[in-house]
Amino acid sequence: MEQVAEREAEELTLVARKPCFDLPTACPLCLPVFIYLKLAHIPFRLSFNSIFPDSDQIPYVESGVYVAYNNENGGVIDRLKQDGIVDLDSEFESVPDWISTKAMISSWLADAMMYELWVGSDGRSAYKIYYSDLSWPIGKILFLKQVYIIKQRLGITKDNAEQRKDEIYKRAKIAYCALSTRLGEQSFLFDDRPSSLDATFLGHAFVTLHALPNTSVLRSKLLEHDNIVRYAEKLKMELIESGSSSTGAQFHSVPSSSAPRKGPSSWSSKPKSKPKKEKTEEEKTFKRRVKYFLAAQLLSVLLFLSLMGGYDSGDVELYDDDEGLALD
Amino acid sequence: MSNPDPKPDPEPQKTFNTNDIDEEGDEGEDENENDLKDDEDQDDDVFGEPNRPKPKTREAQYRLDKLKMDSLLQRMQSGPVSVRVHDVIIKGNTKTKDYIIEAETEELKSVGSMQELLKASQLVNLRLQALEVFDSVKITLDSGPPELPGTANVIIEVVETASPLSGQIGAYTKAEARSSTVEGSLKYKNLLGHGDLWDGSLAYGYDHSAELSTGVYLPRLKGLVTPVTARAYLMSQDWLKFSSYKERSLGLSLGLFSSTYHDVAYNLAWRTLTDPSQMSSRSVRRQLGHNLLSSLKYTFKFDRRNSSMRPTRGYAFVSTTQVGGIAPDSRSLRFLRQEFDLRFAVPLGFYGAALNFGISGGVVFPWGNGFLNKPSSLPERFFLGGNISPVCALGGPTALWGFKTRGMGPTEPKRQVNDENADPSGVDFLGGDLAVTALADLSFDIPFRWFREKGIHAHVFACAGNVAKLTENEYRNFSVQKFVESQRSSVGVGLVVPTSLFRMELNYCYILKKFDHDRAKTGVWLTFTGAS
Repeated sequence: MEQVAEREAEELTLVARKPCFDLPTACPLCLPVFIYLKLAHIPFRLSFNSIFPDSDQIPYVESGVYVAYNNENGGVIDRLKQDGIVDLDSEFESVPDWISTKAMISSWLADAMMYELWVGSDGRSAYKIYYSDLSWPIGKILFLKQVYIIKQRLGITKDNAEQRKDEIYKRAKIAYCALSTRLGEQSFLFDDRPSSLDATFLGHAFVTLHALPNTSVLRSKLLEHDNIVRYAEKLKMELIESGSSSTGAQFHSVPSSSAPRKGPSSWSSKPKSKPKKEKTEEEKTFKRRVKYFLAAQLLSVLLFLSLMGGYDSGDVELYDDDEGLALD
Repeated sequence: MSNPDPKPDPEPQKTFNTNDIDEEGDEGEDENENDLKDDEDQDDDVFGEPNRPKPKTREAQYRLDKLKMDSLLQRMQSGPVSVRVHDVIIKGNTKTKDYIIEAETEELKSVGSMQELLKASQLVNLRLQALEVFDSVKITLDSGPPELPGTANVIIEVVETASPLSGQIGAYTKAEARSSTVEGSLKYKNLLGHGDLWDGSLAYGYDHSAELSTGVYLPRLKGLVTPVTARAYLMSQDWLKFSSYKERSLGLSLGLFSSTYHDVAYNLAWRTLTDPSQMSSRSVRRQLGHNLLSSLKYTFKFDRRNSSMRPTRGYAFVSTTQVGGIAPDSRSLRFLRQEFDLRFAVPLGFYGAALNFGISGGVVFPWGNGFLNKPSSLPERFFLGGNISPVCALGGPTALWGFKTRGMGPTEPKRQVNDENADPSGVDFLGGDLAVTALADLSFDIPFRWFREKGIHAHVFACAGNVAKLTENEYRNFSVQKFVESQRSSVGVGLVVPTSLFRMELNYCYILKKFDHDRAKTGVWLTFTGAS
């Protein structure tokens, strides 16, 4: 039993939000990472955390003592590229359209998804994806808090709500048109080969088509582009519905997964600048010394007060039979 | 005895003080008093003698009162003086509801003699003062109505507290906390007139915990036999250094029943575990997030030791059972936690020496669907180690001399980053589902008078303990023999300084047995334990 647990801990594991709406994970941040690993044919185990909906660390990929969190180094996909675990974009980054397409997907479409999930639709989809495994009062409060945060992030106020809505949908429509044109009848967005942008866009498309309600404006705008719908359905069939063969037996720990292989000691994660680290250590030592000094001062005052005040031994007696009338 | 004669008394009344119980002096004779004197045992002899001429001078009055009191004392020493309480009159309460005071005076109605009446009055006085809403309580014994011989009225005069706001600072060891805390609190007394005590407090614990809370104590909510307490709190505990997570709780605890031996409390809390350092191990990562804690806790405490700070005689037994998941929502945290403590103190008869033995144990397990495969909740597990003395702490298996906070038990490697300055051997202490500790402590006086006067004494001690995981099917690999063989142990000698706030120990500990990742050291240790 212990060996099974150890083996599981060494395998590459993607921790994402819970599955629903016939998707392996319905969170629009987690699904692209899932698709990316599938496109790269990396075997991995899928695990879920459904009690931390407001964490920006999820999704994360782990293997042994290695962890790639989503709130570090530009996200999980970029971190996997930097650490040499999987990189599908090595030949695309010099393509002129690459940066603009990436910017469009990660800003306009991401904003549109945020808006539609939390504000545009009735919020039921978002509640089911993020809060359905939490006890009701907690889930409700976190949901309302998140709706408020999203409105702040999108700059939506009572006065400009309609205007912002129109602007968000308009940009989404422009993005869908541009992506539809770029895709054409190819299998993937760039050079007919999978890339991280396919993973990101497919994640968006799957959630829009399957998780959002039928009355969703964003969903109806996406449905106007048949080639995108075909592209999404075809890849859903291949990557998700074809079975869990790639999440089956052949697991590797991170250093032995794909070329180029690098061990933990040579992972090229960004080193922290030394001078800053030393200053932090000095500050920490200073703070610790101050704390000890203050604690020693307080302790000596307390000791003085309590020792000089005397020590009461034994229990407090409620009845003092020596006073008053001695009856026994 | 009060004089129904409307003539004003020219001399000030002499009072008989026995622990704030006042008796009014005799003011003279009245015709009505003749009706009360039926036999020698009547209180008329106590409260006034008939046919005695009214004294004119203060000295004479004093002599008369003294004579009467001596006579009363003599009668009371020779046997019971029969009397019963006719009426309890309450005066002085403008804000406090009558039923609060009346509820504390039940004993007075069942007394049958003067001796019982005095004792009951003393008890009532202490109880009323214990409510903490009165500046003073005065109980006066008066004669009953003239037509009812052998009766007395009890007059309770209270002075409600003029300054309802008070503050205090102290050191405590709470059962829930893992170590001692320093707490400052503000109290507001009797806001609603139900003897209610409101308080707001800020506590800081040695184990990097901070708590802000507010509570109310109702001594006698109508219809309930025991006091009711309610407390809302916001608490945070920083375990980053030990287990790479921070715990924050927003909750409400209700004291439902409390008596000498039994205590039942309900706790409803929203608990969040986070890891801002992003360095936690796999098991801890899996537990990060939000949980609803809805639990019922029953504590049975039987402490017959003569002192909790320096027990030299007696025994104690404490059992705490906690059931989590008391909610219709199946998504709340479900667990069962049981812990117990047993302590014996045996006096040896020389130099104030005493031998203390103790054993503590605890187990926690989740319940519900698939409970055998689920891990137990991290904050509910048992962690051994810390700067508190095992002799005093009665909160389950917690402390071992010589081991740092959360310094032993199952561990897991933390996350590794590609940073040459990172600690390569960083581990998270995960605690265990089963923990057992045992201790033996010999304490004795130091042969110098100054130390004895201050209560400072020495002790020699030995302890052992272990913690193991049982959940996620690990119970299949568990064996008692392996558990005993892998226990940690330490011995030592030290000086104990008991103060009114806490017990301080300055010890030299020698670690007999520890494992690779255990945080224990042979050397000098300072521990603090508040009264349990």
